Amino acid sequence: MRRLPVYLLIDTSGSMHGEPIESVKVGLESLISSLRQDPFALESVCLSIITFDKDVKQILPLTPIDELQLPDITTPESGPTHTGQALKMLCEKIDREVRKGSAEEKGDWRPLLFLMTDGKPSDSMLYKEMVGEIKKRPFGNIVACAAGPKAQTEPLRQLTDNVFSLDTLDSTAFKQFFKWVSDSINAGSRSMGTSESIELPAPPSEVNIII
Amino acid sequence: MNRSQRLAARHNAATRQLREFASTFDRAADYVGIPHNERERFLAWTIQHLWNIHTEERMNKRLIIENEIKSLGVYLPNGTVRKPYSASFTLPADKVSEVRLEGIEETGLQMTQTSPGVFTVEGTPLSHGDFPLRLSFATVEGEPRSEMTIPVAFNPDPRSIWKDIRSSQHEEGLKPDMIAEYVMVEADSDGSPRKDIVAASIQGRSHAHEGRARDDYFAVEHYPDSDWYVLAVADGAGSARLSWRGSEIACDTIMEHCRECLKDNKLFEEAIAAFSQDQNTSLRSVLTTQVSDIIYKGAVKAHEAIGRAADDTPDAAMRDFATTLMFAICKKFPFGWFIASFWVGDGAMCIYNEKDGSIKLLGTPDEGEFSGQTRFLTMREIFHDKDIVKKRMRMGIVPDFTALFLMTDGVSDPMFETERNLKDANKWKEFTSLLKSGFPDDGIPGVDLSDDNKDAKDQLLEWLKFWSPGNHDDRTLVILY
Repeated sequence: MRRLPVYLLIDTSGSMHGEPIESVKVGLESLISSLRQDPFALESVCLSIITFDKDVKQILPLTPIDELQLPDITTPESGPTHTGQALKMLCEKIDREVRKGSAEEKGDWRPLLFLMTDGKPSDSMLYKEMVGEIKKRPFGNIVACAAGPKAQTEPLRQLTDNVFSLDTLDSTAFKQFFKWVSDSINAGSRSMGTSESIELPAPPSEVNIII
Repeated sequence: MNRSQRLAARHNAATRQLREFASTFDRAADYVGIPHNERERFLAWTIQHLWNIHTEERMNKRLIIENEIKSLGVYLPNGTVRKPYSASFTLPADKVSEVRLEGIEETGLQMTQTSPGVFTVEGTPLSHGDFPLRLSFATVEGEPRSEMTIPVAFNPDPRSIWKDIRSSQHEEGLKPDMIAEYVMVEADSDGSPRKDIVAASIQGRSHAHEGRARDDYFAVEHYPDSDWYVLAVADGAGSARLSWRGSEIACDTIMEHCRECLKDNKLFEEAIAAFSQDQNTSLRSVLTTQVSDIIYKGAVKAHEAIGRAADDTPDAAMRDFATTLMFAICKKFPFGWFIASFWVGDGAMCIYNEKDGSIKLLGTPDEGEFSGQTRFLTMREIFHDKDIVKKRMRMGIVPDFTALFLMTDGVSDPMFETERNLKDANKWKEFTSLLKSGFPDDGIPGVDLSDDNKDAKDQLLEWLKFWSPGNHDDRTLVILY
């Protein structure tokens, strides 16, 4: 069966500790619950979550949405943001987990990537290098979200044209953002038969488009 | 001794023991030198300390067991509403007792202990959603019950959440969301039956869910005078907004072109007859030129017709009409069936012969590394490909066949899944038996492909509604049999 792989990269660095990460968790829960109620997503979406702070962890390997249970997300109280390292892990996971079509097997749909950060890459050299690697992978679309006042949009714009920003790190902003992520995934899961990138639905008012 | 005498005797013995203990304690206190007025406080202090140690040990024992249980990773897999659910987990029976799963009642499931330490959660989930169940159990006597959360989610039945909305194209009479056709060709003058065509096309669930038009299209015809059959199937790209028209223009252009070419084409039929006698290179090339005139030119015309439609439509480009196309022309001659075809895009076109179980795939589907990467008739580069004849065109003479199938990927994907299966004659046998049997479990009857069975068109329309997870594209199937 054809799957739509969706990768969520979530910043869990020290500055996300406390209310911000709790809001992200609530947002993720409603994201998953909304995907379960969409017939396209329920049968095709597979989700993976990679968190990054000083360590990078794939806390959820690529899992079909109907089988998925959200693992716990923890944040250290302080420390660097290894975004580059996270992209490196993402490339490895994509190469291993996403199926290419062949005579024996149907390929997956092109994967989607959503990256959320409230800061900037501490490992900027590796980040630059990995942006190049990401460009070689067959993503259907990449969306980057700069959350909160300290998030830098410049590095994200190297990664994708779809950069959005949230003014605050509170639950309302994250809720809107994840709602929009789920709308985008749903849009992706139904745009069957296209090789072009997936058209994103209009973001909610809390989400600012960076041009 | 009666009962009261026995009780009195026991009471006396207990009193004696207490007195003995009190005097022992007094002697010990004297020995240590504890003043009489402080003895009670000292005793209370001692008991308090021992009690503290006792309760701490008890709590530690409980915590150790709790941690052990947590590290077991007790887990309940997610389920689906109205589908029987069963899952088990094991807890160490010597360490925990009075196990309960709080919140289970409202889900419609029950938990039972099937053997010591083995717990089974069974039943049929009533409603969908996330349920944070709490597993609680007793560990050490005197300690509070322990509790941990075990999340479980029940998914809605995917079949129950599809919406069925007619498209505006259907409402406005521009293109029906489903259509079926039967072309009955009556028996020959000598009474031998001639092949009929049955065809059906339906809007996929993914389109019906959003009230979007059917992108698939087919056109079929039999010319009574010349006895040629022409079959065409096209699948508009889901991402292209006018592809529902692209597929229509492609098929209709082919029909018009072939009608013209095959009307009274003596030269072509003579070339076929000559080729049937002697398949040497010069006769083959004469015929190939003729076939190209019909098949290749037809495809080019279809491409150009879409180009004109794009020019005539404001703010539209050719790629907005993106569509695949496959078509075949066939005729029965005394020496066998002549078949010529063209195919660009995915789907499948195949000659099936039940007698010897053989198949002949009329080309190869265009599929990329990732799903949804196919080739379209609307791409200019396919006509610039020097291998276009080899890749996309087929011609040949076969003695006879059971059926010629043309289908879009909405049918070939769920039925064959992979290109390898598409080339496997056994899979085609399975496919034809599914066509006959239908899907009894889902209440979908089969298609009766007997000669002149006009009901086959409605049967085929119903058959196309089969359920296959993840496969909800438009479905079109054309059968010449």
